Amino acid sequence: MSMIEARGLSKSFMQAVKEPGLKGAVKHLFLPRHIEKVAVKPLDLRIEAGETVAYVGPNGAGKSTTIKMLTGILMPSSGSISVNGINPYRKRMENAAQIGAVFGQRTQLWWDIPIAESFSLLKDIYQIPDALYRKNMDLFTEMLGMSEFIHLSARKLSLGQRMRADLAAALLHNPPILYLDEPTIGLDVSVKEKIRGFIKQINQEQQTTVMLTTHDLGDIEDLCKRLVIIDHGAIIYDGTLSEVKARFAKNRVIFFQVRSPMPELYALLEHSPGLKLEQQSSQEFSVTFDRYEYTASEVVSRVMKHGEVLDFRMEDTHIEQVIKAVYDGHLDLNEHRGARGQAHHDDSSPA
Amino acid sequence: MTTAARLNKYRSIANRSLQNVMAYRNSYIINLLANSINLVAIFFLWQGIYGGREAVGGYSWDQMKTYLLVTFLANSVLSWYSETAISGKILDGSVAMDLLKPIDFQTARFAETLGASLLEGAMSTVLLIVFATFLTGVTFPHSPIVYLLFAVSLLCAVVVKFGVVYLAALLCFWSTGSLGIVWTRIALTNLLSGALVPLAFFPDWLEKLALLLPFQAIIHTPTMIFLQQADTWESLRLIGIQLFWGAGLWMAGKAMWNWAVRQVTIHGG
Repeated sequence: MSMIEARGLSKSFMQAVKEPGLKGAVKHLFLPRHIEKVAVKPLDLRIEAGETVAYVGPNGAGKSTTIKMLTGILMPSSGSISVNGINPYRKRMENAAQIGAVFGQRTQLWWDIPIAESFSLLKDIYQIPDALYRKNMDLFTEMLGMSEFIHLSARKLSLGQRMRADLAAALLHNPPILYLDEPTIGLDVSVKEKIRGFIKQINQEQQTTVMLTTHDLGDIEDLCKRLVIIDHGAIIYDGTLSEVKARFAKNRVIFFQVRSPMPELYALLEHSPGLKLEQQSSQEFSVTFDRYEYTASEVVSRVMKHGEVLDFRMEDTHIEQVIKAVYDGHLDLNEHRGARGQAHHDDSSPA
Repeated sequence: MTTAARLNKYRSIANRSLQNVMAYRNSYIINLLANSINLVAIFFLWQGIYGGREAVGGYSWDQMKTYLLVTFLANSVLSWYSETAISGKILDGSVAMDLLKPIDFQTARFAETLGASLLEGAMSTVLLIVFATFLTGVTFPHSPIVYLLFAVSLLCAVVVKFGVVYLAALLCFWSTGSLGIVWTRIALTNLLSGALVPLAFFPDWLEKLALLLPFQAIIHTPTMIFLQQADTWESLRLIGIQLFWGAGLWMAGKAMWNWAVRQVTIHGG
């Protein structure tokens, strides 16, 4: 059985409808009208033990609502959930004992007492054996560099310190499942790296199942092999990150620096379908091409026929751009759902 | 899970809560100062009312002084911090973090309240002793049994007050502000518990009504016991009523919580 299994899971809220102006407000006072707002449409999700899954989508897509249902703090409107064999809503306490969670916007640390005290309270709450507690504290303190601030209260910590402490707090009891809701929000690069390295190591050493929501694509690229994209309450993509890249990040760009301008090349490129020229200056330009139509060497050799190339570098489309296209509604991943997986075998046909 | 291990969780929570209020010692001292000024003001108000009178509503001036001091103690045992902490958690959505823990929400909040009460009660007792030494005529009971009964009834009063506070706090699941709920609750509690004036001062019908409600268990009962207006058996009966309300409100809180978490959204992302 899967570690996390959701079937037909959905959530709707009642939302007050108010007509504009004072008249509307008065009317609502006496005759309140509500409409049902669907936050999450019935969705199926299976996550296997030891997987790291990125759960992404624009703000308001239903990410947090899903996580809240999976962690047992929100009752689903319909559908069933099983987390390690436990229904998180019916058995909230049992489920809480086997999960760790970090909500980037909130802290579970006590605000005004040293965080070491918050940790030792968790030892009692989760009934962590002495030996394991000491082992984990030593390990986490070292890996996350907490020794310099473990005696301070949460109020006095910087955001990066607080997030590291929260992450340690979520993992002290060695939970088999870890939920992370925007764990790197607002952090600097070095703290981000520390946190990602830590999550990676915990996942590898303890086979912890990790489900992560983020807007930071670095998190996804560093940590997650699998990507689930949700938009308007429905899952619109579920597959590997490399597959998304292979199928949707089909454009490549080569930047050239040349000795002298090449007017005849420019004219030629204007009329070549599948190639796009952008001039930066008289001696610098870039060519964007579809990697399934042209190879990089074809493009480079074509340019070199027309003159001397001083330098060139190539860039792949970043996953950022793909996901942004989905968010903006320019790219409909659903269209391609039927063809899922074919990109691996059939590289010549553009998806 | 063994009972000992389960108790240990909540004892630990009470311990951290005590540490937490200690961190707020400055604001607590200021709060206590405000309460003391309030007590002094009320003291002079009553002194004015008693001017030239032997007794008001069956209370002599000496009894009234004792009544005021005991009310002060009973009121400050569960102070503003505990009164607002729970509704605050619900309003800012941090209740979500509590739901992620393998702990019972209500028991955890009660443990927190008890932890904070320990300090608040101790500080008020010290202040009270200072006041009492400067006042003449405060009547202290002689029998140690009365002190024991009083201590028990004070503890029961905390349980009842927690029940009222908890139920009112849960109402915040349906509202976006707590101030109205908190003020209404404080006004009701102060009036019907006897914190403002002894229940004996009320018109007959209101006194009867007040005695049927849980609020009287918070102030009226401990003062009755301390002023020895109730003998030992009567005191035990009153404590029994406190326990009845304490248990009743606890169960009502549990039921309301179970219903509330099903109904509502937790505020914030």
